[in-house]
Amino acid sequence: MTAVAKAPLVTPKSIPRRVPIWVVLGKVLRRKPSRMVGVGIIALFLLMAVFGPVIYSKLPIDTNNVYASPSSTHLLGTDYAGVDVLALVVSGARYVLFSALVAAIVTVVVGTAVGLVSGYHRGFTDSALMRVTDFVLTVPGFPLLVVLSTIWSFGAPLQMGFVLGITGWGGLARAVRSQTLSLRERGFLEAARALGLPTRHVITREVLPNIAPYIAMNLLLAVTGAIYAQVGLFFLGIVPPTANNWGVMLNNAVFNAGALTSTQALPYLLSPLICILVLTLGIVLVVDAMDELFNPRLRAR
Amino acid sequence: MLAPVNEPVAVDVRDLTVVYRTGDVELAAVTRVNIDLVPGEITGLVGESGSGKSTLALALLNAVPDPGRVAAGSIEVTGLGDVTKLKGKKLRHARGETLGYVFQASQNSLNPLKPVGKQLLDLGRSHDVRDLRALVADARSLADEMGLDGKRVLAAYQHELSGGMRQRVGIIFALVLNARVLILDEPTTALDMLSQAAVLSIVKRVHAERALTTLIVTHDMGVIAEVADRLAVMYGGRIVEDGPAERILREPQHPYTRGLIGAMPRIVGDPDEAQSLPGRPPDLATLEKHGCVFRSRCTLRMDICDTVDPPLVEVGPRRRVACHAVVHDEASDVSLTKVGSRA
Amino acid sequence: MKLARRLLGKLVTGLVMIWVVATFTFFLVRKLPGNPVQAEYERLIQGGLSPDQAKAQAAVMFGFQPHTPLAEQYLHYLWRLLHLDFGQSTSYSGVGVGHVVRSAAPWTITLVMTGIIASFLIGVTFGIIAAVRRTSKLGDTLTISGSLLHGVPQFVIALLLAYVFTTLWPVLPFGAPYNVTVEPGWNLAFINSVVVHAILPVSAYALSSYGGWLLTMKSSVVSVLGDDFILAAELRGIRPITRMRYIGRNAILPLFTVLALSIGLLFGGSIFIENIFDYPGLGHLLLQAINKRDYPLMSGAFLMITVAVVIVNILADLFYSVIDPRVRRV
Repeated sequence: MTAVAKAPLVTPKSIPRRVPIWVVLGKVLRRKPSRMVGVGIIALFLLMAVFGPVIYSKLPIDTNNVYASPSSTHLLGTDYAGVDVLALVVSGARYVLFSALVAAIVTVVVGTAVGLVSGYHRGFTDSALMRVTDFVLTVPGFPLLVVLSTIWSFGAPLQMGFVLGITGWGGLARAVRSQTLSLRERGFLEAARALGLPTRHVITREVLPNIAPYIAMNLLLAVTGAIYAQVGLFFLGIVPPTANNWGVMLNNAVFNAGALTSTQALPYLLSPLICILVLTLGIVLVVDAMDELFNPRLRAR
Repeated sequence: MLAPVNEPVAVDVRDLTVVYRTGDVELAAVTRVNIDLVPGEITGLVGESGSGKSTLALALLNAVPDPGRVAAGSIEVTGLGDVTKLKGKKLRHARGETLGYVFQASQNSLNPLKPVGKQLLDLGRSHDVRDLRALVADARSLADEMGLDGKRVLAAYQHELSGGMRQRVGIIFALVLNARVLILDEPTTALDMLSQAAVLSIVKRVHAERALTTLIVTHDMGVIAEVADRLAVMYGGRIVEDGPAERILREPQHPYTRGLIGAMPRIVGDPDEAQSLPGRPPDLATLEKHGCVFRSRCTLRMDICDTVDPPLVEVGPRRRVACHAVVHDEASDVSLTKVGSRA
Repeated sequence: MKLARRLLGKLVTGLVMIWVVATFTFFLVRKLPGNPVQAEYERLIQGGLSPDQAKAQAAVMFGFQPHTPLAEQYLHYLWRLLHLDFGQSTSYSGVGVGHVVRSAAPWTITLVMTGIIASFLIGVTFGIIAAVRRTSKLGDTLTISGSLLHGVPQFVIALLLAYVFTTLWPVLPFGAPYNVTVEPGWNLAFINSVVVHAILPVSAYALSSYGGWLLTMKSSVVSVLGDDFILAAELRGIRPITRMRYIGRNAILPLFTVLALSIGLLFGGSIFIENIFDYPGLGHLLLQAINKRDYPLMSGAFLMITVAVVIVNILADLFYSVIDPRVRRV
């Protein structure tokens, strides 16, 4: 007979609470104050995008004052027609951000869907989808856009966003697929299946939450990619300027005002450039924060 | 720096304390551990996860990872002095030439991009071995002894080897430089039963042939029963019981040890008689700071257990227990019920 | 053997890709607004050719006969492509597209490849430093610099570089691949001129892509540092240098999968860089062709860019399977 008597069950004093996510978020943001700056920057541009065209419903023109230098009335000077540059920059933000957002959403939706289905089902579906993805990835995106512009002028922000999204989901699909595959290895997916849970449940409730942070980071990065692409397209004059935006400003600055060869249109050239840089910086900082938030291994030991 | 092949090397751990820093606080993973590894003996170190056994094993090579460090105590190894004070080149040579460490089979302890043989040569060159060809020949003969095709294994990449083969290669790498101390971390976890048996018999054989000082870290009592001469049980960073393996297995004295053994179902008899220990093993943060670390799960708990950490006390020839209740009972000569006395 | 099978698979995929792109451009040209063949036909007639001659000429230039069924035209198109006949350029009157493309390609390829190599070397080195010193200010700064430049559009960097170094502080030449007064050929003056003129565009390529290498290498090194075999090497007393080589080799592997991707991006970026710096490469050609409505040339340039990307991808993939033995067995 065993000598170990049955001892009364011991209940632990308290179950240690997991630290809520906003506390961790706050800590991560505060660790490098630059990240707060990042959040601030994004907020600023969002405000510009939403309220800009409302504030500047009529662009202030001063036809006598072309290519003015920065002054108290025109903080950033004026362009070739005398339009206030600051007004242009602020109102131009809406187009840029809106179409970039549309592009990012399309990229994320298509890329995630393809990656999930591919990684989850494997087999033939996987191979087929991956072939398509490889194709989208390999065909040089920008030349494709350029060639496409000959038959379809996608100047409107929605169209622009759509086209950019459709050509750019390849990388995300591949990444989501590899994440899904590695989640499969962890076995809890099999456990869910063994419990008889339907596929849709497994994908949405088990897999998605695990890759959500990854997708969030990629969403932001896709926004930067989309900004780059559309500004580039407008800059090269490939897409006819239907609305005011930073790319159009750049195009005018370089090709109409000869900004590269003289200093007269400097603020006109630099303003949109700096906006792009600052916005990119903001996004990068926030992504950096998210990275450390979701990837504990990178946290300093 | 190679000790002559037949020189016995003893490992004396004195009052060792290893701490890990988390945030602003340092938590002890190993607390005031005293244990001797005697040449010619296989010592088994048993404990659940979080008991500190792996940390102790790593400390023997002065390899406690950041953010951990040896806070107090010493580890005296014959011919090396205090290992915890070794640094740089001396430490590097000690690892491999005197102290051999074998990883778990499930771990990928080899570079996936290079064939095993090339890595063996890297090992030789790192240790200033002059006759590399002899080294390779030694490795080959070790491999053959273990039932491996030496030539094939050395030409293979890690992913081409099975778990059992990898484990054996790990042992080869640990011994090929004529190390005198062999430390194995969970050598049978993740292996199937046949491979487990094979690996254990290999360990017994090389240990005897080379007169090594061997430490096996494991959570599997079966392994201990199979190969260990001596047994040390760890809980919460402390050694709670140690002594001759067979005696402890027959008559465990510390309540934790009795719980461990009592939790194992026997091949004969009623499986319901096996009882798991109530509660959960502590982790670094929840470890009791004063008094006995085991008291919250202990059936023999007394008042003194709340305030005084029981010291390891000798209760027999080369046998120690750290428990107020047991020592008290021993002192007043009350005999304890034996565990496992069945026909 | 497995290697040969992989290679074959990649080749087939590449060919399929090229075929799809070719088909795409085929239908694209036919969907163009304002029938360009007709326009060309009319232009030729105005130039004095007879209707039959004009029709024949237009057909040769665009590579199709307007009155034959589509399927036949398509097959004819593919057939000609296999013979490396891309039709004739309408802007470079009568010159074969293939010829124009071939003279433009070397510029693009040398600039892009130099840029890739430079950015790779810088990015990988900084990435290793950033990983090893990731808690220090140096590591942080390097990482942020990488992220930042990685996110900035290529042409923005190019514009800024152009502005700063040619207008603000004119130390570098601008606007041509080499000094026009120098005699082209294998002489020192020419080579020197080419190199100096290439500094800005190559820097633009390099600066825009080194961030990607840095970030990927850093995360890869951090990941490998946590791997079991690195710890095992340390516990076996392996020399620090050897251990670092283990880390380096293992960490650099994932970069090769990114390499293929970034090559595509850089070739795409050539459209900007070559325009800003006025280099007669493929990107410049593509844009020029579109502006001049020279559709055969456009198709040819686009196809050529795709082919270049596909080939480099296959090479990168081959290289990867040589380095990583784990891939060879599957």
